[in-house]
Amino acid sequence: MAKKKEISLEKSDASLTKEDIIVKEKLTSLGKQLIKEIEAGQSPYFETVVRGRSNVLHGEEGYLYLGDKKEKRVFLNVAQAKKFMQTVAVAAKCKKFKEENLHTSIRGLFYQLKFTLGEDLDEELFEEQSESNELVEDLEVALNLKREDLNLSTDRKGVVAGNLVIRDKFGGEETEIDCTKQGRSGWMIPSDVDNGMEFIDVDVDYVLVIEKDALWQRLNEDKFWKKENCLIITPKGQASRGCRRLIRKLADMKLPIYCFMDCDAWGWYIYWTIKTGSMNLAYLGRNIATPEAKFIGVTMSDIERYDFLKKLTINAKEVDLKRAEELLSYPWISRHQDWVKELKIVLDTKKKIEQDALQGPRLTFVGEYVREKVENKQFLY
Amino acid sequence: MEQKDQISQTSVGEIPKVGSESIKTADLKSTKITAGVQEVHSQEIFSEFREHSVAEFFKKNRQMLGFSGKVRSLTTLVHEYVTNSLDACEEAKILPNIYVKIDNLPNGHIRLYVEDNGPGIPKQFIGRALGQMLAGTKFHRFVQQRGQQGIGATGGTMYAQITTGKPIHCRSSTGDNIIYECDVAVDLKTNSPKISNMVEYTGKYRGLTIIGEFGEVKYDKSEYSAFEYLKATALANPHAQITIVDPEGERTVFQRAHEEVPERPKPAQPHPLGVTTDDLINYAHHSKERKLSSFLTSNFARVSDSKVEELKKLCPSINFDKMPRELKWEEAEAIVRAFKQIKWIAPSADPLRPIGKEQIEKALKNVLQPEFVSVSERSPKVFRGGVPFLVEVGIAYKGKAGRQKSDGTVGLDVKRFANRAPLLFDAGGCATMEAVKTIDWGRYGLKDIENMPVTLFMNLVSVHVPYTSAGKQAISNEEEIVEEFRYAIMEVARDLDRYLSGKIRDEQREARKKAIMRYVKQISSDLPYLAGEKTSEELEKKLLHIIESKYSKMFDKGRLTADEEKQIKKEIEEDIEE
Repeated sequence: MAKKKEISLEKSDASLTKEDIIVKEKLTSLGKQLIKEIEAGQSPYFETVVRGRSNVLHGEEGYLYLGDKKEKRVFLNVAQAKKFMQTVAVAAKCKKFKEENLHTSIRGLFYQLKFTLGEDLDEELFEEQSESNELVEDLEVALNLKREDLNLSTDRKGVVAGNLVIRDKFGGEETEIDCTKQGRSGWMIPSDVDNGMEFIDVDVDYVLVIEKDALWQRLNEDKFWKKENCLIITPKGQASRGCRRLIRKLADMKLPIYCFMDCDAWGWYIYWTIKTGSMNLAYLGRNIATPEAKFIGVTMSDIERYDFLKKLTINAKEVDLKRAEELLSYPWISRHQDWVKELKIVLDTKKKIEQDALQGPRLTFVGEYVREKVENKQFLY
Repeated sequence: MEQKDQISQTSVGEIPKVGSESIKTADLKSTKITAGVQEVHSQEIFSEFREHSVAEFFKKNRQMLGFSGKVRSLTTLVHEYVTNSLDACEEAKILPNIYVKIDNLPNGHIRLYVEDNGPGIPKQFIGRALGQMLAGTKFHRFVQQRGQQGIGATGGTMYAQITTGKPIHCRSSTGDNIIYECDVAVDLKTNSPKISNMVEYTGKYRGLTIIGEFGEVKYDKSEYSAFEYLKATALANPHAQITIVDPEGERTVFQRAHEEVPERPKPAQPHPLGVTTDDLINYAHHSKERKLSSFLTSNFARVSDSKVEELKKLCPSINFDKMPRELKWEEAEAIVRAFKQIKWIAPSADPLRPIGKEQIEKALKNVLQPEFVSVSERSPKVFRGGVPFLVEVGIAYKGKAGRQKSDGTVGLDVKRFANRAPLLFDAGGCATMEAVKTIDWGRYGLKDIENMPVTLFMNLVSVHVPYTSAGKQAISNEEEIVEEFRYAIMEVARDLDRYLSGKIRDEQREARKKAIMRYVKQISSDLPYLAGEKTSEELEKKLLHIIESKYSKMFDKGRLTADEEKQIKKEIEEDIEE
């Protein structure tokens, strides 16, 4: 097996950051713990927190997180043996990535681990990539870290423009990135905004998160971020882990986060994912949620204020109505009367409004709309 | 009931042509004298010999006696001779060696050769033993015995005469170095033996050999065949060694599994509740009592003078002072009916002699080489308000257990016995089958029992086996007997269930173990790297050891400890969880 000789390639820890060393230590101690268990004559096991819905909680803090329910991952259980072995293989592989200071995607990891278990065994360590995802999550939870910390990158999505300067240590080099100088394209949010990323300068009044790339481009062309001294971010639909993490970090700097979404199921969903986190990533808890985020629009109530919108509503689809009902059923949403009111209008009128509709009167109206909302603090929680 | 005769040892009459080839002592190894047990001399046994006259009746009713159908007729013949040999050996406390050879003759007849190492038959009794109906040493005693169904060796003699016109040839010696051979036939009119071609010579032999030529018989290997009969006999008589050589020359030896002659059942008087009209007539006609009333009190258990008074009231038209031998059929019928209306003290269970759990187990293992055997152990019960009986049920799984079906697959085989004698025919109406049919096999995980390689051994032990008909091939559906059989079957079915689930569990454990073992190499190489330690073979060994000990076979050890039960339960729960 290739991996054995690779031990000799182990880089000295000197090239690793402090964070890297901590992660490596966590992996090492997991290995030591498992070996200790074997030496004590018992089945090796480790504990992880239950990630199922039953253990997803929502508290006063306004984000989803996992409860205390733990479960054991045991090697000597026929149903778990393979996954256990795979998890150990993933951990070992991640440790190697750490030592080499190289990153890859889960897919890359999958190919690194897709080899046969032995000549006499008609079985591969991994056969499907889908197998590895859940194991990575196990490791994230068991070791209390994020996959990005394990040098596993996720797909990048999301773009930033505005007065933000970052130092990016990557591939052995350091680059300074000024988000005011990214032209029409903006700065692409990387998978990991924690490791090797340093926020040198963030000089803005607020952060505007715009659902659609088209609207972001509109505002970017208007130099909205310059005029308003804000950051404009588009997650381009559902926010990626990196994007959500970035928003969290910006909120940590006490910057107000305003979300500007469609007035429909998808828009609300994106908003609430940014705000509370998602069930699936509840194990990352507050690290990936921004309860401080506020929703500036588009809202059904906007119709009352902007007469032209009346004509620009479109029919809500079945999925929108369903989602509205679902959102109403979440206790962390139904306690906000404004939201209840909004959602009920949707259910009553069976209408929805897209961000793009704000370009109805004139293209620059989008900026005016946002400015007015922010100034008047007209937003929903 | 032991009616009909049953001769301990049968044999010969006039010598037909068989004599040209002198009989060789077949396969019997030197006769064993069972250690410590005094063998009983034949003279002693035959001192009780008596005679009757009903040959004509049997000739007319041969189908009732098992002589219907060619295959069945041959089986009946083998049955008669072998049963006699077994009974004689048992009585003389000899471990039986029985040799049966069947030959197809060019004229379409079959020659049957049966040789035993029993006590032999004294010369003066041979005629009556083989040539006179209802003559025997046992029928007038009330004893649980195998040979209740047939008409005995004389029936064979008669059958040979009817189908080939030839007598039976026999050879016997009581072990006194004098061997005689002769031919025996029956004078059907007078029910008396006709002996011819008697020769005597010196030689070492003890036992009886019968050679008969029979027509209207056929040998095959069907479930009703002589072969199956002998196989079944071996199952119920583990102390016997039985050899059969079929017409093809193929030789099968059912080895002795148990080196102990079974204890003779204690003779007892018949109990009124177990008596049939036929029995009553037979007993009455050979009674030496002067009056019917004294015949009843002296020949039947629990019949006192006051009970006779009750009988008189119930049968006012019968003269209880007449000679017993003048008892008419209708009168006998009336008395038997009256017997059923009177309250009796139950008969003693003492005469019951089961084969025994251990012996049945040995026999099943010996003959079927099964993977699993279980035998029930139940105490005596009574039926018909007082007839004692007990049932013995064994179950054998895999190996040679089960019955080869016509489509080539193997299915449930029910081997029925009454007092160790195999019942091959009329299974449909038998209490044993009734019990088998009414079991909820699904409860024992044996829903598909009909298609499983399982042999059920079922033996009814009683001094009165309630047969459904004179053919004596089926036990009537007495409620108590069926119930008792059901309980016994449930016992062994539960055991088989436990074995199978244990076995299946072990197989599952083995599969689990293997599934986990697959990953040991990989994890053993990844772990040291993860821990930043050197790879060590020790780690892999340790891990293998942990797995081995967790999934060690549990069932092989037999019953599980409470802890093991718990662990298995936990494992099953783990499986369910996933």
